[in-house]
Amino acid sequence: MMDLTQKQWVKHAVMHPVEGFEDMRWKKSGSLKIAFGIVLLLFIAAVADGRVYGFQFGVAYDKTFNIIPYIVKSIVVFAAWVVGNWAVCTLLDGEGTMKNICIYSAYALIPYIVQIFICLLLSHILVQDEAVFIQAVRIIGTGWTAILLFSAIKSVHQYSFGKTVFAIILTIAAMFIMLFLLVLFMSLIQQVYIFISTIYTEISYRVRV
Amino acid sequence: MKKRNKTLLTLFASCVLLGGGIVSFAARAGEPYDVYNYDRWGEAIPSQAGYIADRVVSGYDLGVGAMSAPSDIFCDHNDIFYICDSGNNRIVAADSDLSSIVKVYDRFTMPDGSVTTLNKPMGVFVSAETGNIYIADSENSRVLVCDTDANVVMEITRPESDLYNGTFLPQRVIADKAGNVYVVLRNITTGAAMFDASGEFTGFYGANRVEPTAEIVGNYIKNLFMSEEKKARRARNVPTGITSFDIDGDFIFTCTSSSTQTTDTVKKLNAAGKNIFASKELAFGDYTPMYDTSQNKVLQPAICDIDIADDGNINCLDYTTGRVFQYDKDCNLLFITGTIARQVGGFSQVSAVESLGDDLYVLDSQKNTVTVFVETSFGEIVHDATDKFNAGYYDEALEPWYEVLKRDGNYRRAYIGVASALYNRGDYKGSMKYAKLADAPRIYNKAFEGYRMEFLKANFGYIAAGLAVLIIGIIVLKKRLKKRKPAAETAAAAPAAENEVSGKEEE
Repeated sequence: MMDLTQKQWVKHAVMHPVEGFEDMRWKKSGSLKIAFGIVLLLFIAAVADGRVYGFQFGVAYDKTFNIIPYIVKSIVVFAAWVVGNWAVCTLLDGEGTMKNICIYSAYALIPYIVQIFICLLLSHILVQDEAVFIQAVRIIGTGWTAILLFSAIKSVHQYSFGKTVFAIILTIAAMFIMLFLLVLFMSLIQQVYIFISTIYTEISYRVRV
Repeated sequence: MKKRNKTLLTLFASCVLLGGGIVSFAARAGEPYDVYNYDRWGEAIPSQAGYIADRVVSGYDLGVGAMSAPSDIFCDHNDIFYICDSGNNRIVAADSDLSSIVKVYDRFTMPDGSVTTLNKPMGVFVSAETGNIYIADSENSRVLVCDTDANVVMEITRPESDLYNGTFLPQRVIADKAGNVYVVLRNITTGAAMFDASGEFTGFYGANRVEPTAEIVGNYIKNLFMSEEKKARRARNVPTGITSFDIDGDFIFTCTSSSTQTTDTVKKLNAAGKNIFASKELAFGDYTPMYDTSQNKVLQPAICDIDIADDGNINCLDYTTGRVFQYDKDCNLLFITGTIARQVGGFSQVSAVESLGDDLYVLDSQKNTVTVFVETSFGEIVHDATDKFNAGYYDEALEPWYEVLKRDGNYRRAYIGVASALYNRGDYKGSMKYAKLADAPRIYNKAFEGYRMEFLKANFGYIAAGLAVLIIGIIVLKKRLKKRKPAAETAAAAPAAENEVSGKEEE
């Protein structure tokens, strides 16, 4: 039963929103390599969505290209989700390890990524009046990923339905707390940098005189 | 400072090089400032000048002695300029090229034969229908209507109406075709006072809206819980009053000079007093106010005068930066002219702007001069193209737009013009190219729709054939795979198991 290759597991997990991840857990399957590949694809999708989207659907500011927002939008958010979920669920008797959370969450992202690429393709074929098709694809893809993500968290930690909802809410809260700390940390570093640079300027003036 | 020195140096050098004989040419060779325009993102980019300062006219040039704090300039239907020489309490009428004086109005004969003079007149207007001169005689609290021989026809004073309270200090005055008189008053925020042809007060016209800032909204909510007595003692929320206006046919354009207000700074009012620009998201003056380090203040635009040219272009005069922002009648920015400087083409305190033909006239109330700007060849082409484009002659506008692009590759309106013209001609591919360069998704969308239709029509056979082949191919492949599967399944089982083992080892 269920003797699938790693690639077949990906397909199985994505195509079976309810049972897929349970089966995967039962078989102790899932590959970190594929998970990282998916996150990389997510990053590429984010960049492509921002830069080469059909021109009739809006213009990208192309005077400068800053990669940081795209990294934040894809990789950093994903990492925050994984770390946040791990941190929350360790306290909530979750059974998932950080590695498993990462793998399962990444697999769940596939419909979302596929949706981005399909929309990208459609945006070069359709005109503004037909944007409703893009909207439909977008809703289906995102909804699918939401369901998969829920199912992934549920099975990786072996939670009940209610507890999964609770865990996800707490995870999102944890992500915000991380964001807050990050901003705090950044501003602190900036202050320290300004302090040091001021001292340097001050000293350099004295030395010259 | 360094930059100014450099400009001065280059100017000096060019003067020396060219010799004394062609100094006037050297003065016209460049503007004493960097000419700029705005791109689609609202960022300032270098551009070509649409106007260049030609000469400066002072009271001495006109032969009437120095002007003192002139506040308004108006060009009538006979191309005679009326300059409101406020500090000298007179109106100076000069001919169309501002070379000689036509008449100086300082003494007026009242209907009963007595003589009256002005006291700090602020605005002047001449009606094209009746030929009467309307003077906002500010400190005398009246509006004088007289004929060209200085015989007073009518005198409008503070209305004895319950609607009107406050002082009557006219700043600007205009009259419409029907003879209704509109007066902008100092310290009156409820709009311009409107008088009928016989001088009867009929109400207010075109008040600004109160800008819903956080403070105003907060005050409104607080007011809900307050007693009437308390409300009466609180500061009231009133809009900023109108600063100046101009009339163009059936529409009155008003401007409001306020460093804090951003809505309603420029309005186009119909006969009912409704603002036609209200529904558009428009900004007048500089998009991103510049911070001036030498004055330690943000140069917030304050549109202090407005003028509608004969071709419908809107000239807005920004008091803070001394710049004239010229818009076409659809409020697309055309040119930015002028600066604060002590050179020809620079100002110290602008007070009014007027246009005649292709020229711009800017009045400076501190230098006491009128600066004449003439259209450059670039400006001429842009105006030509814009006029044709706005009238719907896209095809005819194509050539001038190409010419504009030759001279200034950053001029966004030209790309839009070319894209629209090519779309009209059915050249969808070209239109898409130029729409992309203009960052104009809407035009691109239309052009793309046409292009797609053409593409489908031309290649429908190939596309249909390709689809058919693809579908047949998939069906055939599936059938083959199904046939193979029973045989392959047993063979694949063993390697699959091996894979899983190796997968576990990796973990």
